[in-house]
Amino acid sequence: MKILEMNHIRKSFGDLEVIKDISLSVSEGEILSIIGPSGSGKSTILRCATMLETINGGEIIYMGDKAAYTAENGSVVYAKGEKARKINSNFGLVFQNFNLFPHYSVMKNITDAPLHVQKRDKAEVNSQARELLKKMGLLDKADYYPCQLSGGQQQRVSIARALCMNPRILFFDEPTSALDPELTLEILKVIRDLAREHMTMVIVTHEMNFAKEVSNRIIFMEKGVIVEETTPDKMFSSDNERTREFLGKYHDLG
Amino acid sequence: MKKYAALLAAVCLALSVSACGSSSSSTSGSASGSAAGSASASGSEASSSAASSSEGTAERTTFTVGFDAEYPPYGYMDDNGDYTGFDLELAQAVCDMEGWELVKTPVNWDSKDMELSSGSIDCIWNGFTMNGREDQYTFSMPYVDNSQVMVVADNAGIDTLADLADKTVGVQAASAALTLLQDDGEEGQKALADTFAALQEFPDYNSAFVELQAGSIDAVAMDIGVANYQLKTRGEGFKIIEEPLNTEQYAIGFKKGNTELCDIVNKDLKELTDNGTVAQLAEKYEISDLVCLKAE
Amino acid sequence: MTLSTMLVQLSTGMVKSMGIFFWTLVLSLPLGLFVSFGRMSKNPAIKNIVKIYISVMRGTPLMLQLMIVYYSPFLLFGMNIKSFRFPAIIIGFTINYAAYFAEIFRSGIEAMPVGQYEAAKLLGYSKSQTFVKIILPQVIKHILPSVTNEVITLVKDTSLAFSLAYMEMFTIAKQIVAKQSTFTPFIVAAVFYYVFNFVVAAVMEHLEKKMSYYR
Repeated sequence: MKILEMNHIRKSFGDLEVIKDISLSVSEGEILSIIGPSGSGKSTILRCATMLETINGGEIIYMGDKAAYTAENGSVVYAKGEKARKINSNFGLVFQNFNLFPHYSVMKNITDAPLHVQKRDKAEVNSQARELLKKMGLLDKADYYPCQLSGGQQQRVSIARALCMNPRILFFDEPTSALDPELTLEILKVIRDLAREHMTMVIVTHEMNFAKEVSNRIIFMEKGVIVEETTPDKMFSSDNERTREFLGKYHDLG
Repeated sequence: MKKYAALLAAVCLALSVSACGSSSSSTSGSASGSAAGSASASGSEASSSAASSSEGTAERTTFTVGFDAEYPPYGYMDDNGDYTGFDLELAQAVCDMEGWELVKTPVNWDSKDMELSSGSIDCIWNGFTMNGREDQYTFSMPYVDNSQVMVVADNAGIDTLADLADKTVGVQAASAALTLLQDDGEEGQKALADTFAALQEFPDYNSAFVELQAGSIDAVAMDIGVANYQLKTRGEGFKIIEEPLNTEQYAIGFKKGNTELCDIVNKDLKELTDNGTVAQLAEKYEISDLVCLKAE
Repeated sequence: MTLSTMLVQLSTGMVKSMGIFFWTLVLSLPLGLFVSFGRMSKNPAIKNIVKIYISVMRGTPLMLQLMIVYYSPFLLFGMNIKSFRFPAIIIGFTINYAAYFAEIFRSGIEAMPVGQYEAAKLLGYSKSQTFVKIILPQVIKHILPSVTNEVITLVKDTSLAFSLAYMEMFTIAKQIVAKQSTFTPFIVAAVFYYVFNFVVAAVMEHLEKKMSYYR
């Protein structure tokens, strides 16, 4: 079953077209990585998928519900009200720089939205939050504030926060690029664990080896278009010149 | 946090109640009191004015006097923290006759006209010079013969007004003395003021006296009554130049055209003069030689 | 006048001064927040009107504003303003301080990282929930030092009510000085203002400390 379908997405900032007619889809349990050089539009496509940016054309469909579509007059129509809320509850996003709420404790960061947005049962939410913290190895930090945690710990809290909303699909926007290599490993381990549980994920990353290891499918983007979309093995033995050049640079660095 | 909010709310409530309680005075004066007041009025003149008075005065229960609480001996805060003075006691006597409740409203002297015309106060009764202001107010009969004088340090070698040439002279803002020194008419003293090095305005007499004492100004122009009072309380070191700037008169200022209220007060003043109350008060405040209301 | 009478008189004035202080604070802080929304409005008409309002409030003396507020009902509409003195003072102080607070709120709100809004949006918070739960608490912590400055200034500014002959502490001090021909009431008043501000500063410092559990 398709969880997300994005068809013919276009997005411009002023005169600059950063997404040029991109289509992609994600099925349940699938792990999709998006790679590409800086400015290729890979973060933007994620922000479009999570409604943080409004698209200029195309359609976004979650679980068969249209979150956005292009009307006949060419303008893009977004779902509103209750329908939008229902659609938005399908996905979560892990930010590059965590964006935890600094005035909330770790526990409150995780439980506040489930309690006050989803209006779920307090005992249930608390036990789920503790479960998630345990999984993240942070159970002893429940009463800490974000400023008392390392970057890696903060990012794990933000993953737990997203997961506690029970999304069907979780997006990662360069989740390790604000972290040093050691802390990066912490986060990659968490994502690997989630992959083992068949969490549906879309990961924008610069960690090529990680993308190769964990993904079912990889998209290579450049200048707002998809250059190549294939399995990790095929991607890393691609005969596409641009792909080889890009991956080669990383290989040299590695 | 809730605790603090509750406390704050309680404090605010308490403060607001106290503030309101004091700003709006009670109007408990009764119609019977007013009736008694007019019954006590005697003389054909008085009764005719009472008869012609409109319902506005018939219903009057309070009499709001605007005064500058920084103007002893006419109006000031006494040692007990109450407002008193020659003018306020005289106003009280009028109110007692009419059965009104006296409301003493200190005003900012700069804003006295606005307070009067807006109806915040019924009259300005506070050593208020009538000369030169006749067109702007309806005045009662004059009750004090005042003069504007210069106060100088007694060792400054200034004995006449002519000695003030090239000196710095202080004066209260919006005062009669200032008006006089700026008046280039026949009665005015602008010619004299033009000989000064500078004419400096002060918000109150206290500041002016401190500067006089400190030597930063050489003389202060003011009413003789105020000058006498200041010299008495400040002790040695000052003197009044004998030659006055002018002679003028104090009267009660009503809103222009409010003759009916003015008439009532005039009638009462006359009676208070005849029964000796005025003379008694003048003696109490040591201004007997200035008060011009004399029993016939 | 004995010193104790003077203290009693000045204390009654002090209570009036505190009345101005508390009412101004309680009314101008929420109004300031509201005005800051207008200042940041996407509607150019609203934004410009608010900008002019703030500019006038900050660009003209508070003393003149007080006089205009007090006398204009009479000057414009011929209304009786006999019992309007205290309300006029509170209105005058409130609209003046709201302008300053609005700019402080604006600086705090605009300093919020956009990521906080995005995280809140992703978690499904409504706009009002986002503002009340996520943004405002952080803004308050952020702007507290600037607010403390204004609050301390307000304590001293209450003395400007003398221009409407309101019997607050400074007006009374002036009156006692006039009769007693001594500066003692001014010194006492200065001590009163200082003590008042000392307490205010202590309270604000306590608040800052309470909010220092996070960065």
